Amino acid sequence: MAAIVRLSSVCRRGVKPLFYQSTFLARPLAVPHTYKEHPYQLTAKIHASQALCAGSGSKAASLHWTAERVLSILLLAMGPVAYFNPGPFMDYSLAAALTLHGHWGIGQVLTDYVHGDAKIKMANAGLFLLSTVTFAGLCYFNYNDVGICKAVAMLWSK
Amino acid sequence: APGCSRRPRRPGTSNTAPHPNYAAPMGTTAKEEMNKFWAKNAKLNRPMSPHLTIYKWSVPMMMSITHRGTGVGLSGAISAFALAALVLPGNYPYYLDLIHSLYIGPYLIGLAKFGIAFPVSYHTYNGIRHLWWDIGKGFKIPEVYRTGYTVIALSVITSIAVAFL
Repeated sequence: MAAIVRLSSVCRRGVKPLFYQSTFLARPLAVPHTYKEHPYQLTAKIHASQALCAGSGSKAASLHWTAERVLSILLLAMGPVAYFNPGPFMDYSLAAALTLHGHWGIGQVLTDYVHGDAKIKMANAGLFLLSTVTFAGLCYFNYNDVGICKAVAMLWSK
Repeated sequence: APGCSRRPRRPGTSNTAPHPNYAAPMGTTAKEEMNKFWAKNAKLNRPMSPHLTIYKWSVPMMMSITHRGTGVGLSGAISAFALAALVLPGNYPYYLDLIHSLYIGPYLIGLAKFGIAFPVSYHTYNGIRHLWWDIGKGFKIPEVYRTGYTVIALSVITSIAVAFL
C-alpha cells in the first residue's frame, strides 16, 4: 500500500523527487494481487502512464523520429523537382537533405550496433565529423564545380 | 483520490472505483539499463547466442538488411564523392573524361549505370514501404510479402530502364 502512495507522488511532483527516496525500487513495481484485473487493462494503464502524467519524460526521441520521416518525404519530393528544375537551389537543397538523411540513418545504425557509453560517444563524434566533411565537400562541389544536378546529368550522358 | 486528478477512461472500464497508476518509471533510464546489460555480459565473457547463423532467412529479413546495406553504401559513396571533391586537384568534367577514356564497351557502362541505379531505386522504393508502415499500414504478413515483392520488381525494372537512358 505504501508503494501505491509513493507512486502517486510521481504525478504531483514529477519524476525527480522519486530518485532521492532511498527506498525507491529500481525495478517496475509489481501489481498487488488485490487488484485483480484483466492483463490487457493493466498493460493499458502502464502504457498510458506516460501520457497521463505529461511532463515526466522528454519528447526529444519522438520528435527526432518525426523529423526523420518528414525529411525522408522531403527528399522523395526533391528527386523529380531536381530532375525538372536543376540548378543551384536544388544543388544546395539536395546537399543538405542527402547529408542529413545519411547522418540520421547512420546514427540509427550506430545506435543498433555500438554499445557502451564511451564507444557510443566516439562513434557519434566520428559520424558528426564525417557528415560535416560530407556537407562541406558537397557545397564546395556545388560552388566550384558543376553542381550535383549537372553532375548526375553528365554522368548519365556517357 | 491519489494520483493525477483527471484522466481519460478506457471504454469498457468501470468508472465507479478510483484507481491509482499502477506503473512507475524505473530509477534508471532505458539507456542505462541497456548499458548495464552489455557491460555485465561483456564482463562475464558470455558468448552470444547464435542468431544470424541459425535462424531461417526470410524475404522480409533480407529486404530489411538490404535497405540498411544500400543506405550505408549510398551514404558512404556520397561521403567519398564529397571528400574527393575537396581533395582531388582536377574538376568533375576532367575526371569524367578520364573515366570515359578507360571504359570500353557499352555493356560495362550499362552495368555501371545499373550498379548505381539499383541501390538508389531499391532504397527509395523500400523507403516508401517503410513510410507506409510508419503510418500504420501494411503489417499483415501477406501484405508485407506483397509490398516486398513489389519493391524488388520495381527496383529491378527502374534500374534497367534508367541504365538504358
